[in-house]
Amino acid sequence: MGGLRRRDFWVAFFFVLPVVAILLSISIFPMVYSFYLSLCKWDIGMGGQRVFIGAGNYLRLFSDARFFNSLKNTGRVLLFGVGTQFLLGLALALLLNRSFRGRSLVVTLFLLPMMISPVVVGCIWKIIYHYQYGPLNYLLNRLGFRSVNWLGSGNVSPYSIVLADIWEWTPFMVITLLAGLQAIPDDLYEAARVDGASRWQVFTGVVFPLLRPVVIIAILIRVMDAFKIFDLVVLLTMGGPGQASESVAFYNYLTGFKYFSMGYASAMSYFQLAVIVAIANVFLRSWRGREVA
Amino acid sequence: MRKFLLSLCILFVLSGVVYGAPVKLVVVGDAGHNLKPFEWYAQAIKEKFDVELEVIGVPFGELYEKEKVELIAGTGAFDIMIVFPKFLAEFAANGWLYPLDEFAAELDPKLDDVTPGYRDFYCKYGGKLYALPYDGDVLNLYYRKDLLENEEERKAFKEKYGYDLKVPETWEEYLDVAAFFTRKAGEKLAGEVLQRDFYGTAYYGQKDQIFAWWGNIFASLGGVYFDEETMEPAINSEAGVKALEIMKEIHKYCPPDVLAYGYEELKDVFLEGDCFMVIQWPCVGKKGADPAQSKIVGKIGVSHVPGVKKDGEIYYRAMMPCGRVLAVAAQSKDPKRAYQVIHYLSVVTSLDDVSTPETGLDPYRYSHFAHPEAYEMFANVEDAKIYLAGVQKNMEKGYPEMVLPGTVEYEETLGVAITKALSGEMDPKSALDEAAQAWREILERFGKEQQKALYQELVKGWRAAGLW
Repeated sequence: MGGLRRRDFWVAFFFVLPVVAILLSISIFPMVYSFYLSLCKWDIGMGGQRVFIGAGNYLRLFSDARFFNSLKNTGRVLLFGVGTQFLLGLALALLLNRSFRGRSLVVTLFLLPMMISPVVVGCIWKIIYHYQYGPLNYLLNRLGFRSVNWLGSGNVSPYSIVLADIWEWTPFMVITLLAGLQAIPDDLYEAARVDGASRWQVFTGVVFPLLRPVVIIAILIRVMDAFKIFDLVVLLTMGGPGQASESVAFYNYLTGFKYFSMGYASAMSYFQLAVIVAIANVFLRSWRGREVA
Repeated sequence: MRKFLLSLCILFVLSGVVYGAPVKLVVVGDAGHNLKPFEWYAQAIKEKFDVELEVIGVPFGELYEKEKVELIAGTGAFDIMIVFPKFLAEFAANGWLYPLDEFAAELDPKLDDVTPGYRDFYCKYGGKLYALPYDGDVLNLYYRKDLLENEEERKAFKEKYGYDLKVPETWEEYLDVAAFFTRKAGEKLAGEVLQRDFYGTAYYGQKDQIFAWWGNIFASLGGVYFDEETMEPAINSEAGVKALEIMKEIHKYCPPDVLAYGYEELKDVFLEGDCFMVIQWPCVGKKGADPAQSKIVGKIGVSHVPGVKKDGEIYYRAMMPCGRVLAVAAQSKDPKRAYQVIHYLSVVTSLDDVSTPETGLDPYRYSHFAHPEAYEMFANVEDAKIYLAGVQKNMEKGYPEMVLPGTVEYEETLGVAITKALSGEMDPKSALDEAAQAWREILERFGKEQQKALYQELVKGWRAAGLW
């Protein structure tokens, strides 16, 4: 029996070994190594030596104005971008949560921006935002407004990125919330109506509480994704003018792969990870707290 | 036994096939029109050198990091590399490039035919040859000669400024001309009502190359990158601040989104006919003569970039940003054949490649300037001669781009500071002080003494070539 167990153990071991080896080499080791790097000064421009500096890189983050600027821009995407995506997504999901002719086609059309490659989205919006020939300024002019300097003004360009992000990712909110809405049993609506609840009362007392877990997950996924926003920044503004629209992920990329300060770039990555984990915890706690209650 | 013999035969045939297969060399460069020659001559290269090329294009602004990541990791991913001279020194100093002197001794790259700026500073490091020239870059002033010659405009200009309308030779004149031609939609230009806004000028606004447009002014005011003895950054000197103040004035006569302009946008605003003059690379002159790419064919004049008046003479310096050279990676599978390929492009086909509007490659050999008839996109040889003379005028007074290790970072931090001043976020002096501080930090990071020695060596060479 004991021999059989030992044989089973080895069989199981060899079955698991490849997965463990792959995980260790492409996931665990890079994480541990990059954390170690975040504690070192390592500028590999001229084959610089790796020097252990403890928390030096993390402290440098707090005195780096460019990092704070990128954090502010990322915060804009989270607050205005994800916020608007949620509100628009919820409104559209409520509209689409009813039967009408051609509903499937409308839902599919709504999903198109999300299906397009992010590079194409960036190129499309670059054309839309063109100061002289872009359709957006053309429309504004026709409506009697002045042209907006979408990409060439430091005050506007961060919001131009937010707007393109809203266009691209609102469909994700729509489809996720619509799935949540459709999972709510019709009986509950009927019961509420029988009890004389108004539409608003049905929404606040029945729909939203039941939709809450889906809302939390949808916002969480978008927050995590938006925190890493990179593609639209590269394609629309390259972080410009100057540094005006740099996101944390873009600045992190420049630090690591343009300036090759690997230690500082690693520290920045871990800072981002810590922030995302903290945000995720807040959302998940709120979900669990609701479940317990 | 029969099976054994059969296996041997198959092995023999297979090894023959493998042995006889052309060598595959991987080429990396900035994607787009400048990789076209590798496609055009792929068949000829295969026949001549038994080399099959695989061409990888990466975005213009990301060439440095894409190449460097592979070189640091030692993947041997590339054999032939298009390199911008500003990172050649760093790549060569790290031993990532193959020294070409021994090959050059066997197969002459005809470097005597190359103008000194490109030959001595863009291809060599530490006295060794690491690359062959592929694209000569210098900034030139392009203007609308049809508007400049328009009688109505000339009369109005004289009335307003008190002197004749002409190609601007000083920065003051540049500002006057830019201000004069900046018009709103509905106003008249050369007797015609404008359908959309028309701008006096424009510049490259993105942070990676904007330093060069500021640099034209800075250099004409006598500015230098560093103090040679102390290696104290000199970009925030009086010349630097004055140059940025002039640039702020120029900014008033540019399209509002000019800070988002890269090469394409700057080319288009001029060739679409929306702007009176721009300072641009030589290829824009060729593209401007091509009806497929330009709405102002036959209306473009070329001249030297403006400067300052000193003792009755105009002192101008044209920045030489970018440029491209062809290098062989130290880890190339076959450095000798890689050299044969780059030699073919730099020596044999180069005149064809720089004289077509289909590439962005610009003349860098004396022989390129000696054959105006090759530039067939111009209406006649005379126009081609005028174009080449304009480019040559700037090249003779070229102001070299730094080619120290870390130049990419130096230039970008300077670019960010310039942008901050132009967008009104900071005043010119504070912005340049901030950039100078960033330069000090980069200097320390790359090793001050090593950088000082390299910089002094560079300056010595620039002086010897008459560029400093």
